[in-house]
Amino acid sequence: MPQLEFRQVERRFPVKRDLGDVLARRGRVWLHAVRGVDLAVRRGEILGIVGESGCGKSTLARIGVGLQPADGGAVLFDGRPLDGPDRAGRLQMVFQDPYSSLNPRMTIGAQLAEVVAHYQPQLSRAARGARVQEILAEVGLVPETALKFPHALSGGQRQRVSIARALCPGPEILVADEPVSALDASVQAQIINLLKRLNRDKGLTIVFISHDMNVVRYLCDRVAVMYLGEIVELQDSAALFAAAAHPYTRALIAAVPDVRRSQPMAEPISGEIPDPFAVLPGCRFAPRCPLAEAACQAPQPMRVLGQDGLVRCWKAVPAA
Amino acid sequence: MSLLSIRDLRTEFQSPSGIARAVDGVSFDVEPGEIFGIVGESGCGKSATCRSILRLFGGAAARIAGGQILLDGVGDLAAMPERQLAQVRGRDAAFIFQDPLTALNPTMKVGKQIAEVILRHRKVGRAEARAAALQLLRDVQVTSPERRLEAYPHELSGGLRQRVVIAMALALRPRLIIADEPTTALDVTVQDQILRLLKERRDSLGTSIILITHDLGVVSQICDRMAVMYAGRLVETGRVREVLDAPSHPYTRALLAALPGQVGRDRALTPIEGAPPSLIAPPPGCRFAPRCAHAVARCTLGDPPPLAPRAGAAPGHLDACILDEVSDAAA
Ligand SMILES: Nc1ncnc2c1ncn2[C@@H]1O[C@H](COP(=O)(O)OP(=O)(O)OP(=O)(O)O)[C@@H](O)[C@H]1O
Ligand SMILES: Nc1ncnc2c1ncn2[C@@H]1O[C@H](COP(=O)(O)OP(=O)(O)OP(=O)(O)O)[C@@H](O)[C@H]1O
Ligand code: SF4
Ligand SMILES: [Mg+2]
Ligand SMILES: [Mg+2]
Repeated sequence: MPQLEFRQVERRFPVKRDLGDVLARRGRVWLHAVRGVDLAVRRGEILGIVGESGCGKSTLARIGVGLQPADGGAVLFDGRPLDGPDRAGRLQMVFQDPYSSLNPRMTIGAQLAEVVAHYQPQLSRAARGARVQEILAEVGLVPETALKFPHALSGGQRQRVSIARALCPGPEILVADEPVSALDASVQAQIINLLKRLNRDKGLTIVFISHDMNVVRYLCDRVAVMYLGEIVELQDSAALFAAAAHPYTRALIAAVPDVRRSQPMAEPISGEIPDPFAVLPGCRFAPRCPLAEAACQAPQPMRVLGQDGLVRCWKAVPAA
Repeated sequence: MSLLSIRDLRTEFQSPSGIARAVDGVSFDVEPGEIFGIVGESGCGKSATCRSILRLFGGAAARIAGGQILLDGVGDLAAMPERQLAQVRGRDAAFIFQDPLTALNPTMKVGKQIAEVILRHRKVGRAEARAAALQLLRDVQVTSPERRLEAYPHELSGGLRQRVVIAMALALRPRLIIADEPTTALDVTVQDQILRLLKERRDSLGTSIILITHDLGVVSQICDRMAVMYAGRLVETGRVREVLDAPSHPYTRALLAALPGQVGRDRALTPIEGAPPSLIAPPPGCRFAPRCAHAVARCTLGDPPPLAPRAGAAPGHLDACILDEVSDAAA
C-alpha cells in the first residue's frame, strides 16, 4: 500500500469575471489548478515534483498534507482518508519562504519547544528543551541557535530551522515546497545533504517540489512532471533523465541553464505559456509541442511506460 | 562612457548589535546594453548593493555611508536629494524585487497597480494606462491578460506575480533595469522565457541590466560580465566565460564545486564549510580566509585585499586573492 495516495484529486478556484465573461453571460469562471491527479507516494522514497510555474505543485502539496481541502477525489494516508492536517503531525510541510513559517518575535528555541509541546504535551520542560536541542543538532545547527530570533539567522540557517520545525512532531512524510530555490549553491548543498541523510538514516519519505532539474536529478528516486494541473509523466529519476518520454519533460530538461555554456542547449519551447482558462480537451501541451499532429486533439489518458513509468502522450509509447 | 559607474560604495544597516557594513567598498561599471550579473552567498550584500543604487531600503535603518553612484546624464545618485531621485526611479532605472509580494500591494488589483506606474510618470488618461497595462502583460506572456488584470496578487502563482512585477519595471522603458533574483520563483521554462525577454529588451532597446542571482547557470546563460560578492566585497569580476570557466578566487571555485551535477547520486555534495562572517565585526584580511582551504598566515593580516589582475589573466578579469597561484590540490 502506498504511504500517501492522491486519487483523482481536483482543486478549482473561483475567479473574478472580466468584461468579456459578463458580456457573454458566462456564470462563474473557474481556474482548475489541479485536475484528476493520481499519484502514489511510496514509503521511504524521495519523490520529486517538477513542472511549469502555476501548474499546481504548491496546491497539490497543500492538499497532500491536509492544509487545503480537495474539491474532488481523495487523499489517503496509510490507506485512510485524510481530512485536515494529521493530528499526530506525521505529515509535515516545509514552505518555500522560511520567513512565513517562523514567528519573528519568538526565539527559535521557544518556537520549536511550542511545536514539541503541542504534539507531546506529556513532556516535561526539561525534556522538551532536550528534544529541541536534539532536533537542532539533527539539522546541523549549533545549540546557541535556540536563543536567536529569526532575523538574526542567515537564509540557509532559517531554512534549516523551518526544516527543524517540521521535524519536531517526528513526521513520517515531509513535503518540501521548493526548499532550496532561494539559496546559494553552498547552502543549497548543505540542505540537500541534510534531506538525503534524513531519508537514508531515518527512512523519512520526502516529496520534493523544485524547479531545479539538476537538484532533482541528484536527489530524487522518482520524478512526477506536472503540466496545467495534471501529471504528464512519472518515472524513475535515472530513466527520466536518460530518456524523458513526454515532449514537455524533454523541453524542461533542455531548458536547464548550464554553467559551462552561454546558451541553453536546445531551442526553447515555442508558443504561449499555457492558459489555465482555455484548456483543450486533447493533449494540453499540444499547442506548444513540436511533435503535435491531429491525433493529439483526442484526450490523452495515462499510458504505461516500461517497467514502472507512466506518460500522458500517445507518441511516447511504442504501439503494441 | 559607462551607463553606471559605482565607486567605493559603502552601505550600512543599523541593527541592535551594531552597524552591519553590508556593502563595504564595492566598485563596478555597467556599460550601455550590457547584462551584468552579481552572484554570491545569501547575506553577502547583493540586494543591499543594488538597493543602494535607487535607495530602495523599504523603511530599513540603512544609509549610504560613502562612495558614488554615477548614472550617465543624470549625476551622482548617492548625493541626490530624495525628491530628485524619485524622478529617476522607474523612468531612468527600474527595480525588480526579489520577492514579488513585497513589490505588490495586496489590496489592489494588479491591472490597477501597473496602470498607476504609468499614470505617475506620463500624462495619459486612465483608459490609455489600462490599455498599456494590458499590452505589458501580453509582453511578459501572461495568458488571459484581461482576466489577470482583475486579479489580486494572492490569486496568482509565484511565476505570474513575478511577471506582473517585471511588466511594471518595463512600463516606462528605463535605460537600466536592476533585477534582484527575478527568476528565483520560476521553473526553468518560464525562467528561460523571462531571461529571453530581458535579453530581447537589451537587444532591441539597448537596455542595460544588472541581474542578481544565486544561480550560476542563469549567469552563464545571459550575462556578459559578472561579479562574485562575498561578505560585503567583490572578490572576483570579469567576462562571464572567463570567471566561470577559469575561476581564480578560491571562493568562486568553492561555489562552483558545490553545484550538483558535478557528482554522482551516491556521493554527498560539497558545501563550503563554516558560515560567512559577521558584517558587524568582519575578520581582518581576506574575509574568506576562515573558510578558505588555501589560506596562509598573511591572508589574515591588514585590510581586505583589493581586486587586481593576475599574471596571464584575460583583460578585465580581476580577483581579490593574495596568493600568486591557487592550486586545486589543497581544496
Ligand atoms: N487562492 C487562490 N485563488 C485563486 N487562484 C489560485 C489560488 N491559489 C492558487 N491559484 C491558482 O492556481 C494555479 C496553481 O497555483 P500553484 O501555486 O499551485 O502553482 P505552482 O505550480 O506552485 O506554481 P509556482 O511554481 O509558480 O509556485 C495558478 O494558476 C494560481 O494562480
Ligand atoms: N533591514 C536590515 N536590517 C539590518 N540588517 C540588514 C537588513 N537588511 C539586510 N541586512 C543585512 O545586510 C546583509 C546583506 O543583506 P542582503 O539582503 O544585501 O544580502 P543578499 O546578498 O541579497 O542575500 P540573499 O541572497 O539572501 O538575498 C545581511 O547580512 C543582512 O543581515
Ligand atoms: S586571500 Fe587567502 S584566504 Fe582569501 S581566498 Fe585567497 S587564499 Fe583564500
Ligand atoms: Mg508553488
Ligand atoms: Mg537578496
